[in-house]
Amino acid sequence: MKLIIAILREDRVEDTKEALETIGVRGVTFLYVTGRGQQKGRVSVRELGESLNRNMRMQLVGTWPGAGSLLHNDTEFAFGFLPKRMLIIVAYDEEVNRIVQAIVNSNQTGRHGDGKIFICPMISAMRVRTGELGDKALS
Amino acid sequence: MKLIRAIIRPESTQRVIEALEKNSIYAMTRMNVTGRGKEMGITQGAVRYTEMPKEMLMIVLPDDVVTKAVRVIETAARTGTKDYPAAGNPGDGKIFVTDVDESHTIRTGEK
Repeated sequence: MKLIIAILREDRVEDTKEALETIGVRGVTFLYVTGRGQQKGRVSVRELGESLNRNMRMQLVGTWPGAGSLLHNDTEFAFGFLPKRMLIIVAYDEEVNRIVQAIVNSNQTGRHGDGKIFICPMISAMRVRTGELGDKALS
Repeated sequence: MKLIRAIIRPESTQRVIEALEKNSIYAMTRMNVTGRGKEMGITQGAVRYTEMPKEMLMIVLPDDVVTKAVRVIETAARTGTKDYPAAGNPGDGKIFVTDVDESHTIRTGEK
């Protein structure tokens, strides 16, 4: 059993849901998170404006030059923790590759910020309703 | 590869992030959570608070930097008293380290 943690763009989540549905993945946990990657959360002011129009979840960090002044639009780039969605899926070992492939296919734009997928070992699971343990809890 | 989950005080998040930046660790995910530890929250007069707001940082790192990163988070997240700045207080948080089998970059599709 594996735990799949995928961190994705907010606007790709609907496509991802559909892709997961097609390959028969039903149980998914969705979280709203913020985060950044190796680019230190670099985002162009234009993209930032779009994001701010969509929602106000952008958290700005004043650590880098320009980070604080972007709202005056006098810098080209801003840095900050960007709004992302996190998907958590617990799956059988043999399903993992298929799920990863589906997520990659529905999220790949080729630009920085597409996200990451982490696969962690998961020892067991329990269905609370019935108390079923292990593989039975997932079926 | 390891996944570090650090549950810290929201007010110390900025300090922890800056400390990690000094050690060239930039990539992380943060989320707002609530929780409590072995003190079972806090009691203020007649009111008992059983869920305290915390911030969780999730960082995936190669094995060789994990110990250093944990040390950095620990030092930055620890609050002190006036006399002992590094004393630590209940509620400073916890750091959990778990295994990660593999990670994929969606942009390039590589493992």
